[in-house]
Parts: sequence; C-alpha cells; structure tokens
Amino acid sequence: MVKLSVLQHAPSTHLPARPGDPTPTHRNLDPLAHPFARARERTRALNAAKMERMFAKPFVAALEGHVDAVEVMARRPDSVTDVASGSWDGEIIVHNLAQRKHLSKIPGAHNGKLSGLCWADENRILSCGVDRNIKMWDVRTSSQAENPEAGPSETKPLAVFPGKYSFSSIDHHRTDPLFATASSIVQVWDETKSAPVMDITFSTSAETVTGISFNASEPSVLASIGSDRTFTLYDVRTGKAERRLVMQMRSNDLSWSPTYPTVILLASEDHNLYTFDIRKLNSASQVYKAHVAAVTSCDWSPTGTEFVSGGWDRTVRIWKERQGTHPEVYHTKRMQRVLSTAFTADARFVLSGSDDGNVRVWKANASEKLGIVTARERAAIEYRETLKDRWKMDTQVGKVQRSRHIPKPVYKAGELKRTMLEAQRVKEERRRKHTRAGENKPKAERKKVVVAEQT
Amino acid sequence: MEVEGEMDKTWRISQDEIVKEVGAEAARGRREMVLDGGPYRSRYTRNGRHMAIVGLKGHVATFDWRTGTMHSELQLQETCRDITFLQDHSHFAVAQSKYVFIYDRDGVELHRLKSHVEPTRLEFLPFHWLLATVGNAGYLKYQDTSTGQLVAEHRTKLGACTTMTQNQHNAVIHLGHQNGTVTLWTPNLPHPAVRLLAHLGPVCSVAVDPSAGGRYMATAGEDGIVKVWDCRNWKGAVRQWAARGGNGEVGWSQRGYLSVASGGSVYARPSIHETFPGTSPPPLYLTHPIPHRPLRSIRFCPYQDILSIGHSAGLSNILVPGSGEPNFDSAEADPFENKKARREREVKTLLDKIQPDMIALDPEFIGSLAPPSKLTTGGTDVPFARLPRLERLRVQGKADETEEASDHEGDAANGENGKKADREEREKRKMRGKGKSLKRYLRKQRKNVIDPKAVAIRAKLEKERNERKKAREAANGVPKDHKPSALDRFKRPP
Repeated sequence: MVKLSVLQHAPSTHLPARPGDPTPTHRNLDPLAHPFARARERTRALNAAKMERMFAKPFVAALEGHVDAVEVMARRPDSVTDVASGSWDGEIIVHNLAQRKHLSKIPGAHNGKLSGLCWADENRILSCGVDRNIKMWDVRTSSQAENPEAGPSETKPLAVFPGKYSFSSIDHHRTDPLFATASSIVQVWDETKSAPVMDITFSTSAETVTGISFNASEPSVLASIGSDRTFTLYDVRTGKAERRLVMQMRSNDLSWSPTYPTVILLASEDHNLYTFDIRKLNSASQVYKAHVAAVTSCDWSPTGTEFVSGGWDRTVRIWKERQGTHPEVYHTKRMQRVLSTAFTADARFVLSGSDDGNVRVWKANASEKLGIVTARERAAIEYRETLKDRWKMDTQVGKVQRSRHIPKPVYKAGELKRTMLEAQRVKEERRRKHTRAGENKPKAERKKVVVAEQT
Repeated sequence: MEVEGEMDKTWRISQDEIVKEVGAEAARGRREMVLDGGPYRSRYTRNGRHMAIVGLKGHVATFDWRTGTMHSELQLQETCRDITFLQDHSHFAVAQSKYVFIYDRDGVELHRLKSHVEPTRLEFLPFHWLLATVGNAGYLKYQDTSTGQLVAEHRTKLGACTTMTQNQHNAVIHLGHQNGTVTLWTPNLPHPAVRLLAHLGPVCSVAVDPSAGGRYMATAGEDGIVKVWDCRNWKGAVRQWAARGGNGEVGWSQRGYLSVASGGSVYARPSIHETFPGTSPPPLYLTHPIPHRPLRSIRFCPYQDILSIGHSAGLSNILVPGSGEPNFDSAEADPFENKKARREREVKTLLDKIQPDMIALDPEFIGSLAPPSKLTTGGTDVPFARLPRLERLRVQGKADETEEASDHEGDAANGENGKKADREEREKRKMRGKGKSLKRYLRKQRKNVIDPKAVAIRAKLEKERNERKKAREAANGVPKDHKPSALDRFKRPP
C-alpha cells in the first residue's frame, strides 16, 4: 500500500471571506523564499534617502513687520505659538506663528537699537535698549490687533527702570521677580524697585558684557559673555561672580541646555560653537564646526537633543547634540546676516531673525510633512527612517544623505577657510618638527579655545 | 509519497494511481494537452498561476491553468523558439524566427526588439527587470524592460547557443554551449564569470537548484550523461550518471527534486546532493513514460506538485507528490492575488528594482564590509595630529593591546616556538639594567660545566644578595636573628 499526499491549496482559505474583507496574506520566513533581500533593502534605503532630499522644503513662512534688523527673539512662556521679537529701530512685535499675524506691536519702544528682550511672565515683556532704559510692557494693553486705530503713542510701558549705561542684554529669573541686565556692568534688579538691587560684576572686568542668561533648573545661577572674550558665572544668592573663563575669541551668544543643567552653549566669533560643562571649564565638551563666518546666535531645542545657530554667513544651521560636524543648513537668497535664532516650544520649528527685518519660520526637520499624517503614512515614514539609519554606512546612501546644496559664496568661503586651516596646520607641524622634541606639544582642539580660568 | 514494503518502489506507481488517490483539487493538475505544431515549450509565472506555451511552428497561448481561462492565443506562422513571462502574466516575450517580440496579456504586439537577432532562449530576471536573450549568433544580451535600454551585450565566442537558465538566487545566467562548456555570465563582466567544461558533446540542458540557495547545478549533454555540480567548487561533478536515451532535459523543483527527461520517460529524484564517486544513477522517485519525442522542455510549477513536460504532441502535466513548496509568501509571489494586489506588487517591485551592475556570483556582498585596499600608502609621513585615535594612543604607549596580547598568548600555548620567543623577549628586557655584562657572562656559562671562576662569581653574587636582603630587613625593623614564620603576614607594619 502506498501513502500519497499531493499539495493542494484550498482557494477559499486564500480569498476574503466576505466582500470588503482584506485578502488574507501569508508569510514564509525562510530566507530562500526572499532572494536578493539585502540588495532590495538597500535599494529601498537609497530611495528613502533620495526621497528625504526631494521633500526637504524647510521654509515655512516669513513674518514681516520690522523695518530694521531683528536683534532679539524670545518665546512666550507656556505658549507654543507666540514669540516676541525686537529690532534695531526699537520696535517690539509679538507674533503668532500659527495665524502668522501680530498679536501686538509696540513701535518706538526704545530710542535707537533695542538690544535685549525677555518675558517676565505670561503677559509682560521686559526690554532694554541703548537708550539706557529698561521698560516693562503689558502685551494685552498694547494689543494693536484689537484696536488698530490706537497709535504708537498710545502704548505706555508698565514701568521704566532707568540705568546709567546703555544696556546690551536682559534676562528674567525663572521664579522670583528678579531680572539681570548686562551693560558694562552686570546688575540684578527687582521688579518692584526702580534701582538695581545688586551689582555683581566680576571685580577686574572693564569691558562691555554682551549677553546674559539665567539657568533654568538652578535658577539663581547666571552666566554672561563679554566683549573681553570672557564667559562669567555668577550666583545671585552670594551676589558675586564665581568664575570666569577667558577664551581665544569673544562669544556672541549663550544658551543653557534645557535637559543638562550644567551644559552651556556658546556661539563664538571664531566660526565655531562650543558646549561647556560648567563643572569642568578647562576644556570645551564639544566643538561644533561648520559655519564659515562668526556665529551670532544660538538656541537649544526644548528637547535638548539639538540646537539651532545663525551666523554672519547668512545661514541657519541645526545641530545634533554631540555631533560636531554636518549640521542641517538652511539658507534663502533674500535672507541676510542672521542675528537671532530660536526654537519653538514644540521643537518642530525654527525661527531666524535677520538683517533684512524678517522673522523666518523653518521646519526643524527639513523633510517633515506638515498637516495630518495617517497611520499608514506614519508607518512608512518610520520604516524609511529605520532603513536610512541602517544603511547610512553604504557609500551611495550616505552620500545622498550628506549632500547639501549651499550658496556659492558660502561654499567658496568654506573652501578658503579649509585651505587656510590646512596651511596653518602644516606650518604648525613643520615648526614642531624643527624644534626640540617634546617642547612644542600639540594642544587638543577643545582645550585650545580656553586661555585662562579665573576665580 | 511513501511505500510500506521493502519490495515496493515509488517509481512503479503510475499517474493513474496517483490521480485516483489524491483529492479533486490536486487531481486537476494532471492534464494532457494534445496540440499540433511541433515540440512545445512552457513557462509558468513566478506565482505558478499562469502558464505560457509555445510550439515550434508558431502556436502561442497564455492561460490561467487552474481556472482554465485563456488570456491569448496566437498563430504566429513562423518559428518560435522560446517564451517567457515578464514581471507577471500581463506581458510575455516570444523568441521568434528573427527577433524577440513582446506581447501584452491579450496578445497585442507591443514591441519588436530588433537588437535581439535570431533568439533561441529567453530568461527574465524579475528583481532586475532584465530580459536576457541568447541567439544563434552567440550573443548574450540584457534588455532592461522598465527603461527599454540594452544594458549589456556579451559575445560568447562559442557559437549558437540553445541552452540557457538563470540562477534565481544571484541572477547569474548559465549558458550551455555546443562544445560542451557551460559558462556563467553577469552583465558587468565582458567575459564569463565561470567557464566549465561539462560534457564531451554539446550541452543540451542546464538547471539550477532553487531549494539550496542556487548551490547546485545539473547539466545534461548529448553524450547521454547527467551531471550535478556544486557551484561553490567546480572541481569535478558531485555526481554523474548515464541517462537512458541521451539528449535529456533537466529541471529542479522548489523542494529540490530533479527531473530528467531523456528518451521517452521522466524521472524525478530527491536528495541527490551527496557526493557519489560511482556512475550509477541515484534512486528513482517517479517515472512517467511519454511516447512523443523529442521532449523539449520540463518545468515544475511553483507552489504546486506539478511537472509540465513539453513534447512534440503537446504538453503533459503530471503530478509529482512533494515537489512543490507548500508555503508561499504573499509579499513575494501569491498564486491567489487579486488584480489590486498584482498592481501594487508591480509598483513595489519596480521601486525595489536592483541595478544590473549589482549582479555577482555572491549576492551577499552588498552590505558587507569592503575588502581592504591593496594600495599601500607606505612612506608618507602622517603627522601625529592626523593619525587615527588608536594610532595616536599606540605612539603614546597608551593603547590597550590586551586583545592582541591574548592572541599572542594563544599562539604561545599552541606552539613551542611562541613560548621560546616569549622567553627571549623577557631575557632581552631583563638585560636592561646594571651589571649587564656580568650577568650575560654568567648566563653564557653552561650550568653543567663546573668552572671555578664562574662558581666564585656566583658565590660572590649570592653573598651580595644576602647582604642587601639583610639591610632591607633592618630598614623595615625586623630583628636580626628573626626566623621567618607563617604568622609574619599578620604583623602590623611599623
């Protein structure tokens, strides 16, 4: 007798049970059933990388209103959409990003350049300028959107704090009604008093302090940068400067990391950005190199994993934390020197204020799709992300992922900069080779930036 | 198919008995198609649902064999040598007397490929969208069916070629030639990747085993011999035997059953991969006598236990129990896919199309590490600051070499030689110090030769060592006539 079995598929099990049902699918996980699985996956990864570059359209909107360069921007606490900006003609505008309109407009808030801007709370703005005044505004009363007839002379500040020197920066304490200002000295003010409550300038400091910022999680710690190439740490509780760092070149902007309270980011005049751990100030924890001119501003994303910087080279760059090269680079033909940058509170958008008087809104992730994303679309996007990450070491995929088009002047400047640095390096090497061994040791790039640490 | 007794043989079981035993759905696979118009050749789609047949006199038909739906039937009135489906049943290509023609599902002529002259055999590489043809002039040509470009054109220099097959796992084309050689081709090489003298006469059929990842190849020659080759190692056939009648066709099923059509009967034999020195045929699994000669093609239907044999009087489909892969993957090839799924899969495979220059003998080279460059940059003086981190650490003497050190120890354990080298190393280090020449002198003295001079020096050294030891002990506060004891270790240090 013989045992026989011949393969037969019952068609009913492979067809949908009722009309409208999904067709049943079957899987065979045997690798032999999937020839060229690797090659096909690589093709998919390459396509995904190309698609990412194809859909990289980061520019969202330009918010007009200012007639001069936008010097500072500050986002409203507890708001995703609102951001205040101040310009060189002394005007303050509060923008709503979602509706792309002005919530309020304070023309002529200061005589001359408005140099510092911060939010005291939900509704009050503190601003300072070169006219030696600090002014506090209520954005609700100054709302021009509600009564457009109200002229610029109608808006009156809530309070005016007169100072002796022209101010360059201002920042408010996170919880207390205190704020600090930077001029040629560093002062701490109380909102209820018209004179500064303390002067915490570093004892030997003689030059202008250009930027100041309170730490968010240790709110009494204050950091400042100055035109004498220094970075200084203060404590409001002790009322004095704690530590000072002298660097090779001056910094233009500073920003505390929102997730690591000890980490601070400095935008330096030497085209680089540096992060410092304030517990260990003798070397930077990371150098970020890509700008081809001075970096004028920087701001962390609220997630703390990336940050944005704007430079004199007319580009905005978005960096991953701890990744010192290959940032995302944004540019437009009409965007001039970028003076201020900010991340929005949802970390999805980046703002840049530039010399041409526009505030521009960019996507933080250039190829992100705005609007409703369906579940299938989301799954496909995530699959493509995984593929790109998995195949990023492939020559072709990596090349597509890394390539960016940048304006010719920026490219040429980068080329020139590379040549100069290379020549410098070669000269250094030769000099080292012809001096006595061990006399002229190479210094780490991260330590090079620090000249002296003072207490 | 299994038999119970020792004396029973599976090959004695006839098709009628099999059809009687199996279910009605499976029995539909057994079919005799009586057609006139010369020896027929057949081809299945990748999912095994549709079948295309072509007779030498020009009769072409494509149909869904399971439901019996005819898609197209053409009388081309000229010699047609081969047929193949393209990506699915919606297009097929026919090798006609002068050129290759492409038809759509309904039999409408879409393209005439003028660059493929007098084609004899066609193969379609589904993942690369390439149509490979070989003709009487001996040119192997690859045409990209998605862009329409002629990708590559190789001159075989071996005359007319009537035997061609593809390896489904690496898309390499196998050609069998009139002088008995089998050559393996890829689009990016102008010469064969492998050239093999397989038979003493012309090669009449080549097949590659899909079940073992394309590892085995079977060839049949005019000399009446069937050979099985290992594609990783071409030194001699794995197994060879003389098939009755000669001039056979060979074909592999998805589960690794080899069928040989020679003379007037078909054999199917599983498990013939073992190396076998003799020339006796492997055990038979199934036979089926066919009186119509010549037998021109032999194809297993994917995902079914069906073997289709083309011969001069039409085609016969027979049942070969156990030959087909039972589990299909809907994402790759689904016999039950509907129109929408077919369209979607067509788009997906087009997006995943692999470039023709990625075809190589080893398909796994994609995504593996690049081989180390053979170019050496010796002599260039790389400055310290430009060295990679590990090199810099090595220069500074801070590199962690523990892994290499352990390797070195392993070597030492393996052979006496390594141990010796190790000792020499230690000796060399040891000599860095004071009294170098004296110690070397003592070492050089053979120990079993008593030389008064050496003895005196040794005694002197011993004495000096004792004195030094005593001085050290005195410095540590140990009393002079102290006898060392095991309890010393519990003493508090002074």
